[in-house]
Amino acid sequence: MSQETGSFDLRGDRGYQDQRERVYRLVFLACAVLSVLTTVGIILSLALPAIGFFEEVTFSQFILGTRFSPKITPTVFGVLPLVFGTLLIMVGAAAVALPFGLFTAIYLSEYASTGRRAILKPMLEVLAGVPTVVYGYFALVYVTPILDAIPGVELGTFNALSASLIMGIMIIPMVSSISEDAMSAVPDALRDASYGLGGTKFNVSSGVVVPAAASGIASSFILALSRAIGETMIVVVAAGKTARFPGGATELLGSFFKSTQTMTSAIIELGLSDLSGGTTAYKALFAIGLTLFVMTFALNLLSDVLVKRYQEDYN
Amino acid sequence: MATETGGEQRSEDAGFGRVSRVRGRVFQYLTFGASLFGIVSLAVLLGYVIWDAAGLNTAGPAWYALALATVVAPGAAFVQYARRRPQVKSAAIELFAIIVGGVLTGFALVVVLAVIAGAERWFVYFLTTALPLAAVYLYSRTAEVGWGGLALLGVTIGGPLLGSLLMEPVSAVGAYIGSPAIFYLSVLVPTALLVRSLVDDRLGLGQGNNAALAVLLLPVLAIPVVDTVPLVDRSVWVIFAATLITPVGLVLWKNLSDSRRRAGLVGPLVLILGLGALAIVPDMLNVAGPSPWFDWQYLSSSPSQTAERAGLYPAIIGSVFMIVLVALLTLVLGVGSALYLEEYAPSSGPMGAVTRLIRINISNLAGVPSVVYGILGLAVFANTLGLGFGTVVTAAFTLSLLILPIVIIASREAIRAVPDSMRDASYGMGATRWQTIRNVVMPRAIPGILTGTILALGRAIGETAPLIMIGVATTKFSPPSGLFGKMTAMPMQVYTWASYPSAAFQHGVVAAGVVTLLIVLLTMNSVAVVVRNRIEQGDY
Repeated sequence: MSQETGSFDLRGDRGYQDQRERVYRLVFLACAVLSVLTTVGIILSLALPAIGFFEEVTFSQFILGTRFSPKITPTVFGVLPLVFGTLLIMVGAAAVALPFGLFTAIYLSEYASTGRRAILKPMLEVLAGVPTVVYGYFALVYVTPILDAIPGVELGTFNALSASLIMGIMIIPMVSSISEDAMSAVPDALRDASYGLGGTKFNVSSGVVVPAAASGIASSFILALSRAIGETMIVVVAAGKTARFPGGATELLGSFFKSTQTMTSAIIELGLSDLSGGTTAYKALFAIGLTLFVMTFALNLLSDVLVKRYQEDYN
Repeated sequence: MATETGGEQRSEDAGFGRVSRVRGRVFQYLTFGASLFGIVSLAVLLGYVIWDAAGLNTAGPAWYALALATVVAPGAAFVQYARRRPQVKSAAIELFAIIVGGVLTGFALVVVLAVIAGAERWFVYFLTTALPLAAVYLYSRTAEVGWGGLALLGVTIGGPLLGSLLMEPVSAVGAYIGSPAIFYLSVLVPTALLVRSLVDDRLGLGQGNNAALAVLLLPVLAIPVVDTVPLVDRSVWVIFAATLITPVGLVLWKNLSDSRRRAGLVGPLVLILGLGALAIVPDMLNVAGPSPWFDWQYLSSSPSQTAERAGLYPAIIGSVFMIVLVALLTLVLGVGSALYLEEYAPSSGPMGAVTRLIRINISNLAGVPSVVYGILGLAVFANTLGLGFGTVVTAAFTLSLLILPIVIIASREAIRAVPDSMRDASYGMGATRWQTIRNVVMPRAIPGILTGTILALGRAIGETAPLIMIGVATTKFSPPSGLFGKMTAMPMQVYTWASYPSAAFQHGVVAAGVVTLLIVLLTMNSVAVVVRNRIEQGDY
């Protein structure tokens, strides 16, 4: 290239360069293919041991069983108590994250000045950046005693309530950032039309922008639920490890105040107890992992589809 | 739209001016309150944990008055002064980031080069791998040869092999010249060269040779002084001279010559002096100060059953070692994938379908729960490949896969932000695709890629669940011995201690661990923010 000879070499030495281009292309392709291999690896490493598990425990025993007791013989491996615990925590987290996240998104997209947005958005991102084990510690050591001090609330040391509240706070930025993107994508023409009809800012935000961004908001909600289902350390540190399945409605509400086990915390407990493998309890870990993976994967896919929809509508 | 009919009816009997103004106001404040809720909650919790970690419950009112006078008041005054002066603010942030970043980089280098690898072993790999890599890179840059990239690849693979073959004789040479000399050659000399080109080319200050000479000579002249300080031996001094003192000197030099930015340097200085005074004065005046859990003893000792003697040292080393490996792996793999997807991948035809599959797959991987990655690491790296339970490599590989989707997504955005017109110009000059990537795309995309990667590394350093799954020890009393040594990590230790029922652990030792972890995260994030601001200023 920097040949300072008299005659210009316009032909260049492409033979070698072509080889080099091919090598780099292959190297980069290999990097990209690694992500596909990761997915294959995840599915295989969950499915293969899970198949072994279902040779020892039938599928219906696992998926419909209402008792989970992997350690005390006779061992029972019903996944429903864990699914119940997971959903319980998810509902608690959603009760915090969805309304607060949505309102935050409305404020950021419709009301906040540029200066306030520039301050609020990075601060909200910090919420998602704190390690989950730290949130778990907060829930266990600070939130539970505070909630316990409220008269009429009888909390166990480990309970679903403080874990799910803290988890809700952690998920707020996830809801708010995606919802805000969806609201910002709503064309100003729609807002102007509403103002032109005499709408107030409140009418425009709640009556035009939110419905118009509905699919994006729904997508952010679903992603938050998926995140809550997969969250591990908050539950492991603060929610305890008693797998329970409620008999009635009163017991259902009471579960919030007691120790609860989720799918993720069951995986951790089984993983901690026995890493050498071989036992049914160890294999159950993979079956639970597969259930968790399928649930979060389905939710993520649904959320993806919804995001595509609003992007197609307005972009 | 449901409000339309209601609004119409009201406007008939109440007049136009009063249409639901109250409702709108309430709604606005409600949304504002909602956006503050999470932030305020976290701030309160952080307040609690800092209170616990610093042991502020034992401090008397006199100490608070002193703290107010030495740290809070000067700090607040400076913030007030800098608020409306962007140049001052940016200079202060720059100096602050350089100080904190320099301390952490120096710490990481000491850990990786001196503690884990050992000076002699590092010397061997420096001679066989790092030095040839730098030489080939510099030569291919200046001479514009075509084989630069491939030669780099060759050295990366061949260097370590050669190093392990020549380990015995070369490390004997290393032992003969001693570890301070090794770090002088391998860390300080490259820093001096870097300073020379930085001063001459980027900062335009001139006198690059003098600056480089100062970097080489001043640390040596200071050695008699350093020898009198306990805790700092000569090797540590040489490394910190390169990572902390040199950059701070450069920032001071650069900003002192600019009258608008000069005032910004006062901020960090006031803060450091104030903290120093706060550490010394209360003892002299016999004022009851705090009894912090988070102190030097905590950072330098091993875990213990006794709260007063417990420390985080092995976990810090383990985390640093692991995160360095994760950073190397994810940068290479993440940038490679992003380059393929943005620059090479066809978007139509049968290969287009594959491209789409890879893209969808990456966004889905970003949503997989971290504990599932733990199961993957357990099955693939620990069991199938036999890299061992709870070893540094297993942990690094597992966490790399975990954050790879985030790094790829961030890198793709950075690469996409490079305007096509620049690529077209490069192709128009006859450049090949790789030449375009290397000379046009990468230089402009690298700040964005680095920002994304640092943020993702912040996620990796706080992850716990995957580490539990791959069998990382809950408590370990010594740092990892090497790549295949067993390790523990900071979040792992926090998790372990959080289950100890005693108040001294729950409100003391764990709080200090949380504060350590958060300080590391905060530093990484502020480095990322500084890099991002650089991009916005367009000054790279």
